[in-house]
Amino acid sequence: MSKFLLLTQREIQERLGQKGFWYMLVLGPLVVLLLLVALLLAADQGKQELNVLIADPGQIMDHRLMAQEEKNIHYFFLDDYLELDEFERAKSYHDFDILVELNEKVLNNKKCFVFYKDQLGLDARMELKFQIEKRLEELIAAQHSDISEQAFRQIKQGIIFDFRDLKDPKNESKEANAWAGFIFGSFILFFVGLYGMTIFRATIREKSNRIVEVLLASVRPQQLMLSKIVGIGLVALLQLLGWGIVLSLGYVLLRETIFVDILDPSHWGEGGPERLNPLSILVFEQLNLPVLGLHFVMFFAASFLFYGALFAVLGARSTADADGQQYLLPLIFLISFGVFTGIFSVYFPNTTLTQFFAYLPFSSPVLAMIALAKGFNVVSYTQILLSLLVLLISAFLLLKLAGRSYKNTILKF
Amino acid sequence: MINVAQVSKSYQRKLVLDDVSLEVPKGQIFGLLGPNGAGKTTLIRILNQMASPDSGKVYFNGHTIQKEDLQDIGYLPEERGLYKYMAVRAHLLFLAQLRGLSKLKAIENVDYWLQHFEIKDWQNKRIASLSKGMAQKVQFIAAIVHQPKLLILDEPLSGFDPLNVDLIINEIKALKAQGTTIILSTHNMKSVDEICDQAALLHHGQILAQDTVQHLRSKHAKGQIFVRFRGNMLGFANALWTDFTLLEQQEVLPGCFECVLQIRGQRSVNDLMRNLQDQVQVEHLELLLPSMQEVFIDLITQKENQHV
Repeated sequence: MSKFLLLTQREIQERLGQKGFWYMLVLGPLVVLLLLVALLLAADQGKQELNVLIADPGQIMDHRLMAQEEKNIHYFFLDDYLELDEFERAKSYHDFDILVELNEKVLNNKKCFVFYKDQLGLDARMELKFQIEKRLEELIAAQHSDISEQAFRQIKQGIIFDFRDLKDPKNESKEANAWAGFIFGSFILFFVGLYGMTIFRATIREKSNRIVEVLLASVRPQQLMLSKIVGIGLVALLQLLGWGIVLSLGYVLLRETIFVDILDPSHWGEGGPERLNPLSILVFEQLNLPVLGLHFVMFFAASFLFYGALFAVLGARSTADADGQQYLLPLIFLISFGVFTGIFSVYFPNTTLTQFFAYLPFSSPVLAMIALAKGFNVVSYTQILLSLLVLLISAFLLLKLAGRSYKNTILKF
Repeated sequence: MINVAQVSKSYQRKLVLDDVSLEVPKGQIFGLLGPNGAGKTTLIRILNQMASPDSGKVYFNGHTIQKEDLQDIGYLPEERGLYKYMAVRAHLLFLAQLRGLSKLKAIENVDYWLQHFEIKDWQNKRIASLSKGMAQKVQFIAAIVHQPKLLILDEPLSGFDPLNVDLIINEIKALKAQGTTIILSTHNMKSVDEICDQAALLHHGQILAQDTVQHLRSKHAKGQIFVRFRGNMLGFANALWTDFTLLEQQEVLPGCFECVLQIRGQRSVNDLMRNLQDQVQVEHLELLLPSMQEVFIDLITQKENQHV
């Protein structure tokens, strides 16, 4: 076995031999899961009193909905299209909260837009979907087949409801998604910081108990540093994998029990869909979790190499834990800076500074997660990959520089 | 075996090694002596390739020393370190493999040395639970487990009780007998007297002296003679005449005396023997050589006086 692998293996074995690792592996994600459930349940806004205006230029719905209407949602019809500006500003539409836009071919293209003035609770979303979809199904079944409405529901394709904020009708900010991405990105930096500290402490320990002198009689300092970063990084990845498995199991469990897939009409009872809140929708319906998970790992690995080199150098420069704390401060600032750039980009997604932060190695993991959570096209995905490449190149350059500094300082006691 | 040729090294503009040259012959025990801060550790780190010289070269078996040669070098640093939470055997296996042994060979060698040092029962204990002496043994094994051709020992006897000092000294002698070249850096001059074939004295980054231990001691002999005789003390004193000064005298048995004399002028041991021939019955006569401790102090004092 090569010396590098031997050193890496020892690092891994040492961490896996610690009880703390296993506690963190199981308890960590469970705590996150519990917090998530609490958050999802707390986000339920209850029933909202709403006035809905259905713009139906083709008069498809014939001013009619299904018999069982929710008393807190009131529907009104308009036989024409309505400009969004007018709906938002005109006094005559002041009392309306929601505009449903049914295009004339909705029975064929099965897509309609729902614009809302204030954030909608999921109750309202589901009720709205339920009412409109049922009515449209009734019409489709009547127009195109002799089968019963019930039989039709078994074979039909669902209507796509595109809910949009009136203040952001093109859905450019996707603020909720962005915040979810921000949380993923912050988790990257959190784990990098957590395990970076492990590199820092392990380096100081080797230095203070002088084993480093024995090791350096067999391996190069750069080899020692890199094996520490890679070994501890792999342990961190293992921990993340464990988190991923526990969280995935929790995700499946929650989806099968508390937060069933309510957007799937096959889960709807006669009385319409179950209640669910927007946060649950975001978590269970809008985020592409596998894609986010994959990129999380990629960006974590690259940023761990980047920050790991810095932690190792600081460890090599320090002579004791206490001495090292002062060196750590700038590094903690850098990690915090990465988090703050994430907040900045959520609020100001289209500024030049945000573009710059997207490629800056200190902040790119967070911004990439935000971009991925908001959804991406070929162009934006290329930018994400480019930022990953910049991060990797920076990490390798930094590792080279750090190796030199590590070599010069590790034997200074 | 090792040839250090005009090696200089500075740290932050401070000259730590100044044009150091020395030669360590194969199969010998070479004492690297010097007060604290003389540059011994820097020289040892250069030999171990942890540091590179600013100028000069180090040759190992005739060629410029290379990374690959580290497999043939064993090193026991002065400041000992082990991973406290590793088990003894696992730790030794790890270090043996780092030194280039295959896993099988590492297992074979580690088990042999654990048995040899009678610490087999401790093989699964964590280093943290060992006594200092026990940990020292583990570190000593770590330095020799890969059967190095060159063994560098920096203060190998510090921290050991007298019993274990003997054990380590015997091991060092045994390794020499097997053909291992040993560089011994130590302040323990008794061990230098006892086991070193050659020695070099490093002071302020310069080599003050390098020779066989015997030559170094002879060169610094102060002309003192030990004599044990039977007879009359008065007759003995008269026989010394003005050629020798009586420094110490002791009657060890009735009519049996042991004395230390100082030679005066150009007189020799032969002159003393001639003077005593008809006066007393000489049982033992020996030219007293200084210990390495005295040689060490002598050389340093001479150098300091030159500076003054």
